[in-house]
Amino acid sequence: MTMPERTLPLEGIRVVDLSRVFAMPYCGAYLADLGAEVIKVDTHHNQFVDTTRTLNGPYPDNDPGELYWERGGTFQTLNHGKISVTLDLRSDEALEVLRELVSISDVVLENFTPRVMRRFGLDYPNLKSVRPDLIMVSNTGYGHSGPWTNFGAMATALEPTHGTGAFMGYLDVDADGRTSSGTVPNKIANSYTDFLASWTAQLAVLVSLIHRAKTGRGMWIDLAMYQVGASFLGEGILDYAFNGRRARRLGNRHESMSPHGCYPCQGNDQWAVIAVRDDADWRAFCDAIGTPGLASDPRFADPVTRHSNQDELDEIISGWTSSRTKYEVMTVLQNAGVPAGPVLDGRDMLGDPHFRDRGYFEAMDHHPKTGLGRREYLTRGWRMSGSDVRIRKPAPMLGEDNRHILSDLLGLTDSRIADLEAAEAIGQTLAGARIPASVPLDRQVELGWTVDYDTGYPSRPPE
Amino acid sequence: MVGVPFGLPLDGVRVLELGRYVSAPYCGRLLADYGADVIKIEPPGGGDEARRMGPFAGDDPHPEKSIPFLYLNTNKRGITLDVETVAGAGLLDRLLEYADVLVENYPPDARPSCLDPKALAERYPHLIVTSITPFGQTGPYRDFAATDIVTTAISGLMYHSGDSDQEPLRNALNQSFYVAGINAAVATSAALFQRMFTGQGQTIDVSTVECLASHLVQALPYYNYMGAIKGRRPVRGSGFEELMPARDGYVIPSVQGSQPWSTVAELIGVPELQDERFASGSGRIEFGEQIHDLLLQGLAQWDRKALHQASGERRLVFGMAQDAGDLHECPHLHEREFFRTVSHPVAGEADYPGMGPSLSGVEYKVRRHAPLLGQHNSEIYGAELGCSADELAQLRALGAI
Repeated sequence: MTMPERTLPLEGIRVVDLSRVFAMPYCGAYLADLGAEVIKVDTHHNQFVDTTRTLNGPYPDNDPGELYWERGGTFQTLNHGKISVTLDLRSDEALEVLRELVSISDVVLENFTPRVMRRFGLDYPNLKSVRPDLIMVSNTGYGHSGPWTNFGAMATALEPTHGTGAFMGYLDVDADGRTSSGTVPNKIANSYTDFLASWTAQLAVLVSLIHRAKTGRGMWIDLAMYQVGASFLGEGILDYAFNGRRARRLGNRHESMSPHGCYPCQGNDQWAVIAVRDDADWRAFCDAIGTPGLASDPRFADPVTRHSNQDELDEIISGWTSSRTKYEVMTVLQNAGVPAGPVLDGRDMLGDPHFRDRGYFEAMDHHPKTGLGRREYLTRGWRMSGSDVRIRKPAPMLGEDNRHILSDLLGLTDSRIADLEAAEAIGQTLAGARIPASVPLDRQVELGWTVDYDTGYPSRPPE
Repeated sequence: MVGVPFGLPLDGVRVLELGRYVSAPYCGRLLADYGADVIKIEPPGGGDEARRMGPFAGDDPHPEKSIPFLYLNTNKRGITLDVETVAGAGLLDRLLEYADVLVENYPPDARPSCLDPKALAERYPHLIVTSITPFGQTGPYRDFAATDIVTTAISGLMYHSGDSDQEPLRNALNQSFYVAGINAAVATSAALFQRMFTGQGQTIDVSTVECLASHLVQALPYYNYMGAIKGRRPVRGSGFEELMPARDGYVIPSVQGSQPWSTVAELIGVPELQDERFASGSGRIEFGEQIHDLLLQGLAQWDRKALHQASGERRLVFGMAQDAGDLHECPHLHEREFFRTVSHPVAGEADYPGMGPSLSGVEYKVRRHAPLLGQHNSEIYGAELGCSADELAQLRALGAI
């Protein structure tokens, strides 16, 4: 049996990406890495533009520049590999063009509220009538059914709502310095729920493509970020079902391992984590830090005593770590087989020998107009031996591919394109916006937005 | 929900899972939820180490009552097999003849030789071999020892979690291994789709730290665009977008969304907040402390759920800190049919959290509770592989199953 050569899973798959902000745009970028042609439906009208083009930065040397909407590092990370068409969906003509685009596409990604999609006639039943086997992801805070369906949402406020704060938080400390389980919830932050939604959408799209290849049938994926977040905490919710337990906040400690924590190291805001799994780890740990006698100290001799004397234990360990670098702590303990590692920040990650050795970062050359030059980006957590998965191009400039998409793909006549232009339904220059104010890095440090900054970065120019 | 004449998306896909703890089992569960026939292979005797992870149903430390195990292994069949015995490796070969995917998460330096991904790929060209580890199959940290706090630290996510005036904070409930598990399912599904056109399998190397690092779409460009190191959330500020105390717990007041400041201020209910100077982002920075105090005053009059409801009705996006009980009883999740009642012969009956997304025409079902240790040995080795009763007895005597 001969089969066609195919080195990319999603070769020949076309995706219309109507989405904004983090979760679904990132899903689109991953589908592009897998070989799909992903068309970002942009607009040049500021009040409707994807806000990561205008609000998130960070900008090269903290300078937004004239073309700031092409220059944001977060925007670039979330939208690599795509091509862009601008369509102002308030125009009936533009909506008609969008429907034509959907009719020749396989997948639609969107994260508007149910109300908006219905108003534009872009809800699944409508789009299915132009593309019967369409696969569509509708990503919302609370989903298209249920009492909270019309509530808006942002990942940062959703995260505790779907329960992470029940299972993370610092320990409470009493006046004598004794610790007990925490009563105050905390957050993973960094828009955690957006990424859970992005992974979930990628999986749902891929299994739907498999399903469609077998049955010819499309799929509508109603993705409620609240529900997705809860599914990642299922074991904690099930603990309530069985045992009535509502929360467990242990700081950096663990139910069964001790010592288990995050310890201060040499330098400003430098930390290392250590997890002693069992007695064998404990003996290896005591040898490695040069205090073999500690292993037989009756306060710490077995898991139960170590668990009940963690405050003292943590003090001893902090004494050892605080005169060492976080990488030294990792090396000394890992050489002894004890789980330990540095808490890496963004700068550390870009220089870390493991991330570099595995080729985790991929460099892209940007369009000269953007002034971004060549820069490295984070990629994905997996390698496929038989698929050429990689970042194929930078994020598109606004409307960069209007001509290609409208004329070559959709076959619009020049006069129809001219009409769209005249009606301001398409355009390549952001209208109605101002250059965003940039907060000087010294001020950012004062406000606590950044910890520190280097002027001589990047320390390692991309190859 | 309409009928399901077309079945589930991964109907007909057979997966062998040699998974321990969380990551590979979660990958297996996601594939099983989408319809794959997932056979979980556990070592005879103790089984998957997750069986000894608490908490336990009824707080009874019994190998069939581990709550993480019960949650991570629904919809699978389970067999025991010692792949390190000659007889066991022979049985694995027979299972692999009929498998589409093998998912495993052994540490590279402790993986049984019969599971070497490259050797498997050569022998079974159609097979997709997905290997999940803390650091991946290559690189200087490959053989490092790791638990969830270590992968979270090295991924960079931990540095950004918690408060800036305290140490970085570990994330909830083994999140790093859940994130690795779903990423593994993504790559595996991509390979399955590709195989429909090429007939070829492949090997997939999943690194837990890299899966989590992919979340840092702000912190990383912060450094390579402007040399700045992004940290944990500042403890000073207006209190918006942060967890703040309400009357019966914590809420997250938010100015996000498309509503004007006056709507936000009116909801919180302190008249002094109706101040145009507070309406802009820069104003909320300048008058942060003052706003913070007024916000505390206003929120002290609100219960979490009432405030969340009132915010939603005004098209604002406030959040609230919910605990496991709130979620288990959440009317919204119940109306969306998130929970499924599962009856387990040892652990008993409970309502289990289900799938994240809802797919049209695909009815999510818990077809099976998490398998008892070796529950499907006779069914799979006997009825499906055709081993005779004598053969099975012999395999048992050899310790292979």
